[in-house]
Amino acid sequence: MTVETQPKAKLPYLSSDKQLTFIKLAVLSMAAILSFATRLFSVLRFESVIHEFDPYFNYRTTRYLTEEGFYNFHNWFDDRAWYPLGRIIGGTIYPGLMVTSATLYNIMQFLNITIDIRNVCVFLAPFFSSLTTIVTYLLTKELKDEGAGLVAAAMIAIVPGYISRSVAGSYDNEGIAIFCMLLTYYFWIKAVNTGTILWATMTALAYFYMVSSWGGYVFLINLIPLHVLALMLLGRFSARVYVAYSTLYCVGTILSMQISFVGFQPVQSSEHMLALGTFGLCQLYAFAQYLRARLSPANFELLFRALLTTLLATLGTAVVALTVTGKISPWTGRFYSLLDPSYAKNHIPIIASVSEHQPTSWSSFYFDLQVLVFLFPAGLYFCFSKLTDANIFIILYGVLSIYFAGVMVRLMLVLAPVMCIVSGVAASSLLSLHVKDIEPKVDKHDKKKKHENNFVFRSEVGTLFVCVLGCLLVSYVFHCTWVTSEAYSSPSIVLSARAHDGARIIFDDFREAYTWLKMNTPEESKVMSWWDYGYQITAMANRTVIVDNNTWNNTHISRVGQAMASSEERAYEIMRELDVDYVLVIFGGLVGYSSDDINKFLWMVRIGGSTERGAHIREADYYTPAGEFRVDADGAPTLLNCLMYKMSYYKFGLVYTEGGRPPGFDRVRGAEIGNKDFNLDVLEEAYTTEHWLVRIYKVKPLPNRGL
Amino acid sequence: MIPAMAKITFSLAFLLCVIIKCNGVSVDTISDDIRLKNVDRHIDISSQLVKITSKITLENAGQKPAKNFLYAVESTAKNNLAFVGVKDNNNRDLRLVETTVKGHDGVKFWRVELKEPINAASSLVLTAESVYTKSLLPYPTAITQQEDQLVKYNGNLYFFTPYPVTSQKTSVAMITKAVESFTKVKPFSQQDGTILYGPYSNTGPFTEKELSVHYKNNSPFLTVTRLERLIEVSHWGNIAVEEKIEIEHTGAKLKGPFSRYDYQQDHHSGPASVRSYKTLLPASAADVYYRDTNGNISTSNMKVKKDSVELDLRPRYPLFGGWRSHYTLGYNVPSYEYLYHSGNEYLLKMRVVDHIFDDMQIDELITKIVLPEGSTNIKINTPYSVTRLPDSLHYTYLDTKGRPVITFTKTNVVENHIQDFQLRYTFPRILMLQEPLLVVGFLYLLFLCVIIYVRLDFSIHKSEHPHKE
Repeated sequence: MTVETQPKAKLPYLSSDKQLTFIKLAVLSMAAILSFATRLFSVLRFESVIHEFDPYFNYRTTRYLTEEGFYNFHNWFDDRAWYPLGRIIGGTIYPGLMVTSATLYNIMQFLNITIDIRNVCVFLAPFFSSLTTIVTYLLTKELKDEGAGLVAAAMIAIVPGYISRSVAGSYDNEGIAIFCMLLTYYFWIKAVNTGTILWATMTALAYFYMVSSWGGYVFLINLIPLHVLALMLLGRFSARVYVAYSTLYCVGTILSMQISFVGFQPVQSSEHMLALGTFGLCQLYAFAQYLRARLSPANFELLFRALLTTLLATLGTAVVALTVTGKISPWTGRFYSLLDPSYAKNHIPIIASVSEHQPTSWSSFYFDLQVLVFLFPAGLYFCFSKLTDANIFIILYGVLSIYFAGVMVRLMLVLAPVMCIVSGVAASSLLSLHVKDIEPKVDKHDKKKKHENNFVFRSEVGTLFVCVLGCLLVSYVFHCTWVTSEAYSSPSIVLSARAHDGARIIFDDFREAYTWLKMNTPEESKVMSWWDYGYQITAMANRTVIVDNNTWNNTHISRVGQAMASSEERAYEIMRELDVDYVLVIFGGLVGYSSDDINKFLWMVRIGGSTERGAHIREADYYTPAGEFRVDADGAPTLLNCLMYKMSYYKFGLVYTEGGRPPGFDRVRGAEIGNKDFNLDVLEEAYTTEHWLVRIYKVKPLPNRGL
Repeated sequence: MIPAMAKITFSLAFLLCVIIKCNGVSVDTISDDIRLKNVDRHIDISSQLVKITSKITLENAGQKPAKNFLYAVESTAKNNLAFVGVKDNNNRDLRLVETTVKGHDGVKFWRVELKEPINAASSLVLTAESVYTKSLLPYPTAITQQEDQLVKYNGNLYFFTPYPVTSQKTSVAMITKAVESFTKVKPFSQQDGTILYGPYSNTGPFTEKELSVHYKNNSPFLTVTRLERLIEVSHWGNIAVEEKIEIEHTGAKLKGPFSRYDYQQDHHSGPASVRSYKTLLPASAADVYYRDTNGNISTSNMKVKKDSVELDLRPRYPLFGGWRSHYTLGYNVPSYEYLYHSGNEYLLKMRVVDHIFDDMQIDELITKIVLPEGSTNIKINTPYSVTRLPDSLHYTYLDTKGRPVITFTKTNVVENHIQDFQLRYTFPRILMLQEPLLVVGFLYLLFLCVIIYVRLDFSIHKSEHPHKE
């Protein structure tokens, strides 16, 4: 590829060695800058603003951390969420992200660079993707060579699968976790290749950073033991691997237990058992090797069998005993759903209701990876063709993450880097193979060359191949840019649409409503809404919410679902019980915003009906006899009279939304609403935003007696 | 010995008394010579402010020329008084000095210094202007979305003055015809939107009689509860102005629900609410931004006019009675329009407060001026009295010892307070090189470190064939 052809062109006053370094530096830094720049679409189109839902929580906690200091943050009991239960924030989050941005912020403040914390948060993910680009280069360099490293770095800079979670403003754990993950891998490969304690300790430190920043570290702590096991099975286990893994496991586990959210899980939960088992196996294996070297084969055989049986027996009983006594926690639902895609759907409605937990469709593989999908098998071939310890790791990583990405959409993120690395290896190997052929034939009359040169049109085929691959790579660049700009760069807190004359219309209703709540309601009022909006309400409106996106208490969410799905009288009882002052619903019927609460309503019914107290809520009641979910006059009467329906459509029956349609025409459902003329008894409209996207109702106090 | 001591003590105490007298508020007496021949008073209560313009014909009935006279404000109104000013017949501003008069403790007095003394038996026409805030009280205090806002004005039927008045007339303007009730003291007449009282003849000094008008007033009742104005001066040609504004609708509170349907269908719905207002910025204002803590507020329009930049600001939501909002408005202006210098001496001349909306009232104003790093000898000259807060330091990009910040505050501010302050300071121009040199020095050090690092070899073990590959 270019790197290898370039040295021929003489740059003035530089030796070819320096030219090479210069070109490598240039390509790498350009890739790093590009990966930052390509993530700025949303900032340029809208503004520097935090996106989506979870980032708002992270932003709020980061702000708290910078204002109150680390210890207060660590001990933070948040009474603004999960009213009346509250939430211990310090003990239930991965603090890596917040600590990272607070540290950056404090360093900059110390240097008198007065950037406010919001901008630090907005630009953190792009910044870390630049770092990821560099780490990818280093990792691929360890696996193959520098050329492959540069190709992989250039690919990961713009791969949509990674951009989807790291655009400016998408301030989430994944933004830094991918960097941590690849850094850990890099150090791990280094440790395996060198067998030094230094690199193994670095791996443990990188692993600690990973644990502190994302729950996905479980993938990592299973992948590395798997690599060790594979090496053992292939007979490649050596002292290097032993040193690397033993150090990593000991230091890494102790470090990871310092994160209070992780706590004793690394030695208790089943997800971490593979790592523990492999650690034990390593010791046994090394011990066996040692004995084998000292004892006669017959003695060794005897000892080996005796030891193995006792060990397996004790281990088996211990595991069973610990599981029965509850010391080893059962597999959590989210992990089950990894192994069995239908598990969550059947058992846990909350997990199933999140769109990013759905299985990935084939088209989204192509959408997120494009040419990488085709280069990946080729890369695997090249990895297999020259099998090393490092290559085995990357093969394992690739195969496993393909499986997991197929189970859950959000794990596409874990797949994207390995796709880039392996495709980088493929592209680089293919190119360097064929670029050699195109080289103008210098007069080299040795015999070997002639023998090699017995293909016809060798140079032409080479040229053609390089051209085709070049075209593919160029199309990859265009595809990635298009996907980034069209699909992954909308902040979702500000919506925009095109008017008939082409002018841009901005729907800023969410912030309108949250600002209204913040400025015009009493400080201590409690707001009930579906859990999706919990984080945004606490962060932007600074009001107490009943449930939020940290879906830790199913019964509480279910209670809210019951209130939304019940009739007004019943809902009033629930709202009185939960001490609710305001209710907030999202309604897209006027402007045609399809992810509103009516479209999510069936999940509220399902989750509401999933607990004992919601037994009276049956999903079937909300369908027409024909089994349809309809909001028009044919809809189920239970639906047309439930609280959510009434709150969404209050006074909507009078509004003309589209020409030639009757009033009360819902533009999302494409139907005239069935229940138009009703009044609210227990609620009053407190505020509705300009495009009716957010509607806020005030819960009326109990009526005075005798009136 | 002892008498001598006593003498010294006494004289010291006397001296002290004199000093206190001199420093304290001056005491005046009411001159018997001055009479007001005619007072023509105009009370404008069509906006949220009460603006009283009085045309006074002053007569010197004594023997000696009079150099000054006293302007008084009744004790009931003095806390709401935001601004008072007197002009002579050539439209020149006269100097007002706060003063007191023995025996009239509740009353607030100003001594108006005349440019030329009034000779005996001659007269002079003056115009006194005063603005009161929070004097129009919504009554009823809470209304529904569809209702009009009714307010009550309570004032003085007569011109309040320490001098006898021969003849006076008062007109009360409120634009609307919808008057619920008003004080009826003959002679009076009501024309459309205006009530005329008087002429009343021969009223004595300090006469008070209640004047009350209860009428419809749907003009915006917006109060800026807090305004923080930050002026950041850069010698590289730019002055950045940022205003943090907290605003509240202080009219009749909204009672009951807010119906978006009614508000959108019927443009007469919510007559007392504020949908938008206009802010005027200096004509050279550029890079205007309008945002709050949740980000940019996308509902605003900017019109560049000949002598100003007109911003049509729409808060995120319409403001009804009792609703609050906050935002930040910032812009840049070129410094050559406001910053003058000769050698190392600089003079900054800018407005203490700028226009926010017509008939604005600001409860608390804080103005901060950030000067370039290294400015010394700072002297400020304000057009009216303000409370100076302790100076502080502001650190931002490339600062080492911090930029001096001058802060002052004033309460109860209205449009009449849009006047220039003057700030003099010394700034050695050579200091402008400090920041570029800092960057150059840092980069130099960085490269130096890299060069040294590259040339050092920290490895313990030397590989035997270093460039075998």
